Amino acid sequence: MINSKKVLKFGLIVYAVIIITGILFGVFAGVKLDINFSGGARITYSYTGDIKQADFESTVKNALDKEFTVSKNESLAGNTKTYAINLSGKNALSAETQEKITTALEEKFKDNKIELYDSNSVSSSVAGGFFAKSIVAMVLTAVLVVIYVGIRFKNIGGVSAALTALCALVLDLAITFCACSIFRLQIDSNYMAVVLTILGYSLNDTIVVYDRVRENKKYYPQLSLNENMNRSIKGVLTRNIVTSVTTVVAVITIIVVAEIYGLTTLRTFGIPMAFGLLSGCFSSLFVAGPLWVCYKEKRTA
Amino acid sequence: MKSKRVGKPIFFVIFVLILALTYTAFFGIHDYFGDKKQSYIKGAEDIRWGIDISGGVEAVFSPDKEGVEITKDDMASAKAIIETRLVNLNITDYEVYLDNANHQVIVRFPRTAGDDDFDPQAAIKELGASAQLQFFEGDDNSSGNPFMTGEVVDKATGVYEQEHGWVVSLELNSKGAEAFGTATANAYKNGTNISIYMDETNISTASCSNGAITGGSAIIYGNFTQDQAVDLANKINAGSLPFALTVDDSKLQIISPSLGSDALRVMVIAGSIAFGVVCLLMLIRYRVHGFVACIALLGQLAGTIACISGYFPNASSFTLTVPGIAGIILSIGVGVDCNVIAAERIRDEFKKGKTIDGAIDSGFKNSLSAIIDGNVTIVIVSLVLMGAFGTPDSFIAKIFSPLMSLFGSSITGAIYSFGYTLLIGVIFNLIMGVLASKYMLKSISQLKLFRKPALYGGKKNDK
Repeated sequence: MINSKKVLKFGLIVYAVIIITGILFGVFAGVKLDINFSGGARITYSYTGDIKQADFESTVKNALDKEFTVSKNESLAGNTKTYAINLSGKNALSAETQEKITTALEEKFKDNKIELYDSNSVSSSVAGGFFAKSIVAMVLTAVLVVIYVGIRFKNIGGVSAALTALCALVLDLAITFCACSIFRLQIDSNYMAVVLTILGYSLNDTIVVYDRVRENKKYYPQLSLNENMNRSIKGVLTRNIVTSVTTVVAVITIIVVAEIYGLTTLRTFGIPMAFGLLSGCFSSLFVAGPLWVCYKEKRTA
Repeated sequence: MKSKRVGKPIFFVIFVLILALTYTAFFGIHDYFGDKKQSYIKGAEDIRWGIDISGGVEAVFSPDKEGVEITKDDMASAKAIIETRLVNLNITDYEVYLDNANHQVIVRFPRTAGDDDFDPQAAIKELGASAQLQFFEGDDNSSGNPFMTGEVVDKATGVYEQEHGWVVSLELNSKGAEAFGTATANAYKNGTNISIYMDETNISTASCSNGAITGGSAIIYGNFTQDQAVDLANKINAGSLPFALTVDDSKLQIISPSLGSDALRVMVIAGSIAFGVVCLLMLIRYRVHGFVACIALLGQLAGTIACISGYFPNASSFTLTVPGIAGIILSIGVGVDCNVIAAERIRDEFKKGKTIDGAIDSGFKNSLSAIIDGNVTIVIVSLVLMGAFGTPDSFIAKIFSPLMSLFGSSITGAIYSFGYTLLIGVIFNLIMGVLASKYMLKSISQLKLFRKPALYGGKKNDK
């Protein structure tokens, strides 16, 4: 017989270690925000002839000691070709640095008539109200999920079950953030997609565990809560492993194939996603379930 | 308890139906007259991809008026209105940046090369229009002094009227109701008309033969088609810009995909391989049930694609971005989970020594509650996201409007598109993963060839 308290302790220690590591990385190495979120500067150069994007990027990299992204553009009329350099963060670009980049590019691509086409300092494209609204949306989701789970799982005390499911969810989201911070990935719109995915996945994972608890309570009402949880977790363990392995393998396949083809921009999607999926499975078994048992036992004791 | 047996042909019927859906959803049905393509059913290649995947157009808007002082608030409201208009144009994937120092609004939105249905220049023109609704007394706007403007409109809706066809119905606030009442009373008394202008265009001139209209509602009769009426209502609801914006044509640019120029091709390859891997894992572990699960997943994917590409005439095509794809991936994950839960339950039943029919029956029965509860929870998530981050006048947004209106209309198309694909995916999961899977498995298990428990993960020597 496994003791829920011990399982919970183990689960929480694992999370504490990962989250503290993630925070330390974030504090000391900084969390990188994409230009979408932080605003920044954008300089555009026009050119003639052909310049390979990789060559352009490496030239800029030599002149600039910051993270940047480059996009290749063309005017709608088709007569001007440009490369845009995006830098995120406030005061992202000083006049001297801009000058330095221009000189470097002009030297490297002498035959391509490099010219400074445009230079903008932009605010973040994500509106100020966005974060407030996200929080309201999260709270609203939480309330609705608590109500739904509360009704559907009434005979095992649904509201507390839903609340512990939400605790597990918060941990899963924290893990995706830590993955970004530890692997030095930029927080961009891909990451937003990951957060949303884990939101749905994590809840689903926890509900499957509770469903088994509900069923076991019906068939074996004499079992103590701890015994019931043990039995339930044992019952859903194979399912949890198979589903997690399948989804994680699928996500890893996507990252690997993308990397083989040189599509590195999918990293900010795939890596936090893989960790979030693993965490979703882990947290429902090692946090949500045991936490709920401990809470219930404490209340009846 | 014995449930009804499912006939052997059912499997083949569902199988063929799913294959047909898959084929048409991915490849569409087209006809070529010379080099002109006629699409009867839109396929996956008709999907509008987001800027991140297939690139787009970038336009730099500047205020039309020189010398007018433009505040930061003006710029912010211009941004909010442009965002609403983008979503009204069904462009849910966009980036809008403000350059407050130069008074520029930089807008990027997707454009697929060779897409004739979508004219970026027209879209840009529409985005920059001030969309000022003005009401004049008389036959035209020559008086130069509107008695009221779009600001007094609380809400506009496109509605169908038996007598006049498609019209735009306006609900006015108290100030508007008063102004409109006075103006219509005058018009009735003098036998003159009321003219309504959208920017510089006269959209309606009508008499007030029925007397003054004081109820706080107004109707624009303009011989509209349904699309025109709905578009105009959307435009009025989106609000007017504090100033018209013009686009510097020399700065109108085609931009490469932000994920990299090869993104779409690589993602299709990666996605196909990942799907293949999932199917392989299912087949290895669950044999016959795995095979059925793969067909169900294929059906779910095809159904989702169909709802995005404009396959169904009433579901308009949708811009697909990475968050949108994440929604599909999550729903496929949920679909896999749903099949895994059922298959594991069936294995458990075999362990208890049940027969094939008994095991399949109770396996599906036992797994149903977990699947339904998991899926409903995800539906809740997707509905909240669609309501919170979609257009304020969408059906779902209205449910949450008392709460969300506190935050103004900050629309984030990417999240809306995640909610949309997730919702569609989960609905198809309930159809394919729960219903179709069950009937296919029950039917296929009647075939002599498949009457061995080992084929479902049961023990070899079981009968």
